[in-house]
Amino acid sequence: MRPGTARRRRARGLLRAAALYLALIAMAWCALLPIVWALSGSVKSQSEITTPTLAPRHPQWSNYGEVFHLMPFGRMFLNTICYAGCITAGQVFFCSLAGYAFARLRFTGRDALFLAYLATLMVPLTVTVIPQFILIRTLGWTDTPWALIVPGLFGNAFGTYLMRQFFRTLPTDLEEAALLDGCSLWQIYWRVLLPNAKPAVMVLTVLTWVTVWNDFLWPLVMIQRQDISTVTLGLVWIQGQYVSDWPVLMAASMLILLPLALVYALAQKAFVRGIAMAGLGGR
Amino acid sequence: MTATDERAVEETSAPASPSPPRRSALARRQARAARIFIAPNLLAVAVFLVFPLGFSLYLSFQQWDLFGPIRFTGLGNFRRLLTADPLFTIALRNTIVFTLGTLLPTVAISLVVAAALNQRVRGIGFFRTVMFLPLAVSSVVMAVIWRFVFDTDNGPLNMILGWIGLGPVPWLVDPNWAMVSVCLVSTWKSIPFATVVLLAAMQGVPEDLYEAAKIDGAGGIRRFVSITLPLIRGALSFVFVISIINSVQAFDQIYVLTGGRGGPETGTYVFGIMIFQNAFAFGDAGYASAIAWLIFLVLLSLTGAQLWFSRRNATEQ
Repeated sequence: MRPGTARRRRARGLLRAAALYLALIAMAWCALLPIVWALSGSVKSQSEITTPTLAPRHPQWSNYGEVFHLMPFGRMFLNTICYAGCITAGQVFFCSLAGYAFARLRFTGRDALFLAYLATLMVPLTVTVIPQFILIRTLGWTDTPWALIVPGLFGNAFGTYLMRQFFRTLPTDLEEAALLDGCSLWQIYWRVLLPNAKPAVMVLTVLTWVTVWNDFLWPLVMIQRQDISTVTLGLVWIQGQYVSDWPVLMAASMLILLPLALVYALAQKAFVRGIAMAGLGGR
Repeated sequence: MTATDERAVEETSAPASPSPPRRSALARRQARAARIFIAPNLLAVAVFLVFPLGFSLYLSFQQWDLFGPIRFTGLGNFRRLLTADPLFTIALRNTIVFTLGTLLPTVAISLVVAAALNQRVRGIGFFRTVMFLPLAVSSVVMAVIWRFVFDTDNGPLNMILGWIGLGPVPWLVDPNWAMVSVCLVSTWKSIPFATVVLLAAMQGVPEDLYEAAKIDGAGGIRRFVSITLPLIRGALSFVFVISIINSVQAFDQIYVLTGGRGGPETGTYVFGIMIFQNAFAFGDAGYASAIAWLIFLVLLSLTGAQLWFSRRNATEQ
């Protein structure tokens, strides 16, 4: 009797596990299929693109070279890396500095100011993009790299919020010991707190990098010249001109997607944690 | 919450600085350093966010083509928007259809996906990585890829439908199908984010509740409905609000999928496209600002309602 029920229970457990894995694999396929299909399409020839095979018979790597012929794509890559690098460095520095002040220093009006910061998180880009455009134009920055770099360089409310939340979780003994040793408040930030904030810095770095890399509306409004354009903007231009040249379009898409997918795979945990953190903030 | 925390900091740091003069000197030093540390960030937020917000409110009462002189029109823009512009009704209808068509499948599917990813089985980390991958894909790249998937003649979607005997669907060609396509893409893109938030909430549900329910003989679905769902209500309402905010503001994917004018015909003409067209194609900055502010007010009241509800729920518990 007893071994029988045990066996039945184990059989049911196995069945459950099999069903779960089957469901997980199906879901993973749905998430990946468009990307995998595009990846396979990027090495197909124009004639093979209409065949429903996932593995191309004669991989045509020249599609990738073609992308660089149609547009100064290499230049656009360098531009985007440069923009994303500058903005990420600025964000991490200024947001963590302000976040430290909000989390650890006391000054009059701190809590009211912080509430105002939280409120600005709700302002949608569509509302501010027109005056922002006018502002940039007044400064004479339209169609220059400044338009893309400067607005993000000195940090924003979201990053400050994220860093503040993290700094609040660090123990206070650290800075007290440093204060007794005669450290200045700057030294406490730079030498004590920032090195201890690696997880939060990771999160902010990845989120900022991904956001700048993928940004579309802002460069679309600001930039007309190809030689200072970003990759997403370049992709839309290619798409406009070579509407049905699917292999080349897919190759260009993969060129933009793959570096980010790589960053994502390496920093997946930090990325997801950042999104969960941002999610908790809204509650 | 902040106040009690501060007191805790004060109490712990008090023994370290016994003499009152040193303490106030430290406080002064702190306040001065804090102002310097916040200044660049505060300036950026003020210049690039708060000022534009106020300026767009100002613009919504003006008529301006971005170049000539600004002319005051009072509520003229709003009157034109609400009574004289047939495109407003179309944009409103399309935005509502798009929002519901994205929101409902996103919530339903991401609940199932999060529940599946919440299982403790071998290799679950791999599945999480794969299913969160679309988070890193930009909406522009995604839209270009999906245009390929939707291609009427050569696209894989119609090919698969052809195998099971269904005729080619005019995905992005027919106005009604174009809206379906756009919703499909947005759902695909927004499921991972919703899943991350829901999964994080599900992992916070205490395990012993499930154990107790299991002993009482509750099945898997019963446990999900009676324990998981009520306990992740906060995260669920957050997902609702964020999805609505994102859908109402949607621009990138629709611009790229349908060629920037909300076509075919007016099939995908939503508010994001309407604002962009009025501001940058027709050069009507005041009118575009009025649309933007109307949407902003709606979203603000939605967020306020969500905060109010979640606070009321919290006090009830």
